[in-house]
Amino acid sequence: MESVENRGHRPVRSDEVTILAIPPALASDADECVDDAGTVRPAYRDVLEGWAASTRSMEAARATTQRHFTEHGITFGSPNGKPAAIFPFDPIPRVIESDEWTFLERGLAQRAMALDAFVSDCYTSQRALRNGAVPAHLVYSSSGYLRDLVGVRPPRATWCHIAGIDVVRVNGSLHILEDNVRCPSGIVYALEARAAMTAAAPSLIATTGVRPLDEYPERLRRILERIAPRPWDASIVVLTPGPYNAAYYEHRVLADHIGAAIATGSDLIVHEDEVWRRTPSGELARVDVIYSRVNAEWLDPLVFRPDSLLGAPGIIDAWRRGNVAIANAPGTGVADDKGIYPYVPAMVRYYLGEDPLIDNIPTYDLEKPAQLQHVLSSLDRMVLKPVDASGGYGIEFGHLLSAAQREDLRRRICAEPRSWLAQEMVQLSKAVCLTEEGTFEARAVDLRPFVLIDERPWIVPGGLTRVAADTQTLVVNSSQGGGSKDTWVLER
Amino acid sequence: MGAGTLTYAVEHTTTLRYSDTVIRSYNEVRLRPPDRGTQRTLSFALSSDPMTEAASRVDYYGNIVHRVDVTTRHRALSLRADCVVQNEPVRLRSPTRWAPGTLRLDPRLDYALASPRVPLGPSTRTLLDEWCGDDRSFNALLHVADRIRTEYRYDKGATTVQSGIDELLAGGGGVCQDFTHLFLAVARHAGWPARYTSGYVAPKDDQKTVEGQSHAWAEVCGTDGHWLGIDPTHGGQVGQHHVRLAVGRDYGSVAPHHGLFYGDAVAAPPEVSVRVTRLEGRVSERPERVTEMMWNQQAEQQQQWSSDQPASAAPFRK
Repeated sequence: MESVENRGHRPVRSDEVTILAIPPALASDADECVDDAGTVRPAYRDVLEGWAASTRSMEAARATTQRHFTEHGITFGSPNGKPAAIFPFDPIPRVIESDEWTFLERGLAQRAMALDAFVSDCYTSQRALRNGAVPAHLVYSSSGYLRDLVGVRPPRATWCHIAGIDVVRVNGSLHILEDNVRCPSGIVYALEARAAMTAAAPSLIATTGVRPLDEYPERLRRILERIAPRPWDASIVVLTPGPYNAAYYEHRVLADHIGAAIATGSDLIVHEDEVWRRTPSGELARVDVIYSRVNAEWLDPLVFRPDSLLGAPGIIDAWRRGNVAIANAPGTGVADDKGIYPYVPAMVRYYLGEDPLIDNIPTYDLEKPAQLQHVLSSLDRMVLKPVDASGGYGIEFGHLLSAAQREDLRRRICAEPRSWLAQEMVQLSKAVCLTEEGTFEARAVDLRPFVLIDERPWIVPGGLTRVAADTQTLVVNSSQGGGSKDTWVLER
Repeated sequence: MGAGTLTYAVEHTTTLRYSDTVIRSYNEVRLRPPDRGTQRTLSFALSSDPMTEAASRVDYYGNIVHRVDVTTRHRALSLRADCVVQNEPVRLRSPTRWAPGTLRLDPRLDYALASPRVPLGPSTRTLLDEWCGDDRSFNALLHVADRIRTEYRYDKGATTVQSGIDELLAGGGGVCQDFTHLFLAVARHAGWPARYTSGYVAPKDDQKTVEGQSHAWAEVCGTDGHWLGIDPTHGGQVGQHHVRLAVGRDYGSVAPHHGLFYGDAVAAPPEVSVRVTRLEGRVSERPERVTEMMWNQQAEQQQQWSSDQPASAAPFRK
């Protein structure tokens, strides 16, 4: 027997299996898994009280999942030229009850439909702008609003085929943190997380009743075929910025999963308003659908950034004439603009005539003087995000800044209020994670579920649960060194 | 053709030369004058050397854009637009400014906000206050144009096509593009929807042909919905001698030509030549009208391609 004087985080031995005690301090902190009374939530009972509580199963799970990630070379690279690192993975799954999932599905479907309707509206009649449902100046000043695309009618009049909508739990209830309808990444990491966990804990998955994810690639393939100009023989490419992109691993694997070729801009050439791909054998093959993981402004140097080498000249005209389909349609960035985010609940009301099921995080419109004043005077409780950045870059946490830095931030906000989104700093829910030392720790988590929009939205049961890099970190983002967990949606 | 109508023939040639043979090039041109307000295009022909086909579309701002792809190897590309344009006399108006907040739900709000080449910073804001005090009327805008014309010198060497307003403010010299950007900034600060206009200045009555460059000026829109031209380079309201070509938020949306090419070569700056001729007397209308109808029905068929011109180019290398 080891000393009984365990200091909360130390393993306690019982029989020959070491049972990890969940320390009381941790229990009150890990609100994702444990309720206010300190009782493990029913969804987590199988996972935390039986399986995870045993050192042997934890050690085995960690070894197995790490082996899976290493053997499959699952990386999320840093764009700063550092080598791509193995995606950090936590073997204790995130578990979501089926009732809560049903609610989430409805809320996400609603949000995704509203975002798609909004993008479509921006590029057609702009009815919401003329009605004042969404302030017109936010759209006209958005770098994601691409005027060259106004009037284009993409196939099936759908713009956002794939949405990644980040969900967080604050004070017990779910909120939307941000919307990603340009090139949301992460689905392959979610699929790999499941594969790793299936290897590590097959019987636990079976007895717990976890909904499978494996429909996703087929569903994605189907929606891409449906927008193809020649759907009976759709040739699909995944357009990637290239191996230096952080999510290149995902692009490559996704292409495999959906039976598509992977291509960079230099593999594509536009001839007479049709897109062709140079195959590795040097022949040219017609392209019907581009599943684009390149942001729109890089797609066509003739129309957007003339310095872009990531696309090919003429792609936009080919798309405009219906000779190639692009998913997501170019131009969806207008809905990703964080300056537009405060108005997404209004979009739900306006386009769907429904009340939003899942609300935003408390957010301030810095172009309204009273709200600006409030933000400036309580910067220490605010998070400031640049409106046109993603990946967690450029985010300022008021309480972490020195007085001088805060003053500097105030100046930057006042100079360009349209460039910032101000949100109240919220405490994200925390889930139990396994540390390097084999102890438990509560870390902040979010969830990126993936919505596919066909005739009606379909949400993959699960998604990418991202974990903060340590107990103190507030940003949960793969670009910021966080890890992930498998996400289990219970069958009932 | 009403009394006082003026008719002009415009010939606009852009020649692009590459340092070496290029494999193919993609070009977008905005060279077809619109039929809008007092201006009508009686005939239009776009030709290229090497010979190729063009497709057209109408952009966000209502400009007619032609895509010209050359898919054969070439060392130069020449694009030539020939058109005959008729201008009715412009009725001088004195429009009313939009009351604060009334543009909020109007699509023309897009022209009252900052754009990539027209940032709305403190330096241009100060100029508005200095030049106009509290006056935000149309007359104040004419005054702004006048101040720009008198306080900044016309100097071709002072700026480039890429220059921003700051360079004009710092150096005190520039060309019509810079003057127009500065005017747009001040007019937008004053709450007016204001847009960039590219085109040509036609000969005054005593000249028959002028040769030279394209011109640029601004248009502002009052509550009556009419866009009225103001020329900060020459001063005053734009009349019958300005031939409008394209409009946009700033130069970035009206460039007469931009293109790209595949090949191991460097493109020289494009050579542009413009000739505007005042046509005397009654211009035969019938053939042009036919062309015009065809234009509306099937724009692609309207292009006439000739091969009697020097060869062509793109300003950027892929």
